[in-house]
Amino acid sequence: MSEPEVDAATASGIPLKPVYGPADAGALDPARDLGRPGEPPFTRGVYATMYRGRGWTVRPLAGYGTPEDTNARLRYLLAQGATGLNVTFDYPTLRGYDSDAPEARAEAGLGGVALDGLEDVARLFAGVPLDEVSVSLVVCNPSTAMIVLAMYVAAARRRGVAWDRLAGTCQNDFLMECAVTTAPAPLPPRAAFRLACDTIAWSVEHLPRWHPISFVGYNLEEAGATAVQELGLVLAHARAVVRELGRRGLAVDRVAPRLSFFFAATNDFFEQVAKYRAARRLWHRMMREEFASVDPRAWALRFHVQTSGVALTAQQPQVNIVRSAYHALAAVLGGAQSLHVSACDEALGLPTEETIRLGLRTQQVLQHETGVAATADPLGGSYFVESLTSAVEERVRAYVAGIEALGGIVEATERGWVHAELARSAWEHQAAVKDGRRPVVGVNCFVEGEEPPREVFVQPPAASRQAERLGDWRRRRDAAAVARALDALGRALEGGANAFPPVLAAVEAGATLGEVHARVRTAAGAWTLPLFGPGAA
Amino acid sequence: MKAVVALLGLDSHWRGAVVVARALRDAGAEVVYLGNQFPAALAAMALQEDARLLAVSSLSGSHGTLVPELMRLLHERGGGGIRVVVGGAIPPADVPALRAAGVSDVFPPGRPLDDLLGLVRGLLAEERVRQ
Repeated sequence: MSEPEVDAATASGIPLKPVYGPADAGALDPARDLGRPGEPPFTRGVYATMYRGRGWTVRPLAGYGTPEDTNARLRYLLAQGATGLNVTFDYPTLRGYDSDAPEARAEAGLGGVALDGLEDVARLFAGVPLDEVSVSLVVCNPSTAMIVLAMYVAAARRRGVAWDRLAGTCQNDFLMECAVTTAPAPLPPRAAFRLACDTIAWSVEHLPRWHPISFVGYNLEEAGATAVQELGLVLAHARAVVRELGRRGLAVDRVAPRLSFFFAATNDFFEQVAKYRAARRLWHRMMREEFASVDPRAWALRFHVQTSGVALTAQQPQVNIVRSAYHALAAVLGGAQSLHVSACDEALGLPTEETIRLGLRTQQVLQHETGVAATADPLGGSYFVESLTSAVEERVRAYVAGIEALGGIVEATERGWVHAELARSAWEHQAAVKDGRRPVVGVNCFVEGEEPPREVFVQPPAASRQAERLGDWRRRRDAAAVARALDALGRALEGGANAFPPVLAAVEAGATLGEVHARVRTAAGAWTLPLFGPGAA
Repeated sequence: MKAVVALLGLDSHWRGAVVVARALRDAGAEVVYLGNQFPAALAAMALQEDARLLAVSSLSGSHGTLVPELMRLLHERGGGGIRVVVGGAIPPADVPALRAAGVSDVFPPGRPLDDLLGLVRGLLAEERVRQ
């Protein structure tokens, strides 16, 4: 008797067979489609020896309270074996408000570190060797990403660290700004995209080791995107950036090696692995076929992974340790360059020192105990994984073509198409969890009764401490010089010049993040978010 | 039955709010989605819309400050009859204070959507009785 027919599919809806064989990989040409690790088309990884040559960067996320609070945690993480840093900023900083603004009063120092001026950056990284440790600045809003990066390079200059030693990333992602991190009102897509490209263009000229954009798939996934949508949106975005910088006279081979990517790792294990492998192949083809790139450094897609927070549950939170470990394994088998494992209390609040250490240890177990780091692309050649990689690639290619037909990613965002896509997938996921089609242990199956309350991390209040310090800063600085620098920025924004140099001059003159962002917001104008409104998602 | 859905303050996690907005609409409510709002503007708009239900989402930790402020403003301006529910990353320890401020119910992560829809069906039935 044969097995009953099971209607199985990946989370993106790719149909799954019960077993795969040689015929499923039939169309695959190993030389053309796989190559060797470290060689085109990089399906099998960007380095020949992968993690034997160099382990992935253990890059835990940290940020809360004042710069001193976060500085203490950054040093703790380095002491615990972190090999890179990943700093999150509070909502007012991300959205462009100083800690003493009325809009910031309830949120300064929550969910990330409060940062207002150049001196805060110096405090945040005191004792951290900026010329040795790579630092990811998790700011997506292209305006505040520009301001925070300007403060970072200004602080490095004051400390005597040469700019060509600075390694790291800022997100600087217009799609995040306009479709995901939108409060209270996003910048208009075109203005946000232009600012992001300004930072990239400046950085390509001045920061040879810096990645001035990290195309964010992670938060798209967290907002609802499937693997195919995540990759499709990110690649459509990356293509738009390469085109725009080309239009500004920066050749693809100067720009592309400075681009970096940031993906999620979530539940559908093999689809996640296939997503990373397909991403590299798609990128290689786009670089060579569409942009006629000749520098191999431009062809290899490098990416950071964060394990999903949305996939974690408030019920039976210790089970999340297991979930995140599987997510992390998918990232490593998919060839990630850098990894953060989300803490098991993610659904409850900010992580405690204990839960963030568990995330770190999860990576260390993978890296040092499991043996998965010994061999490059261990799933390469699997009938199933190769078939799934090709299926993801094909669907992403069609998805990117669809975005192109809408006029490209900026246009698709302006029209609300991206928002509708995310909201639709989020809704479908919720409906599937609700009616049990998508099992979630502890939520719609294997439920326990009353659970004991958990200890949650209490974020130290930062607003009053930061506001006091900011008042002092405003009194000490040369107000006339600040006003002149902000006016020069206003003129650059109106005239269409690259905004980075005048932003750098303004922060060096003593302007605060909120003051600089206010100028940017005024020049950029307003935009109504096309989310759940009439005719919108 | 009109329901207003909003995010509080600068918190950008709209996924939950949009999913809830759609669930309320599918359950038969007339939904007004207001995106991010601060308490004063949100109280004014909820009154202007003559909302029966106000669902606010907060995942940033600002609920401790902004929700009591919203409740105070609603009461002061004659909106004491609006049922307010709060969803998001709300630690259990914070629930009593929100209840004391006048919040009808709290929906931390993982609480079934059906619990909220039950409340909505109750409000819809009340409205039918009144008509």
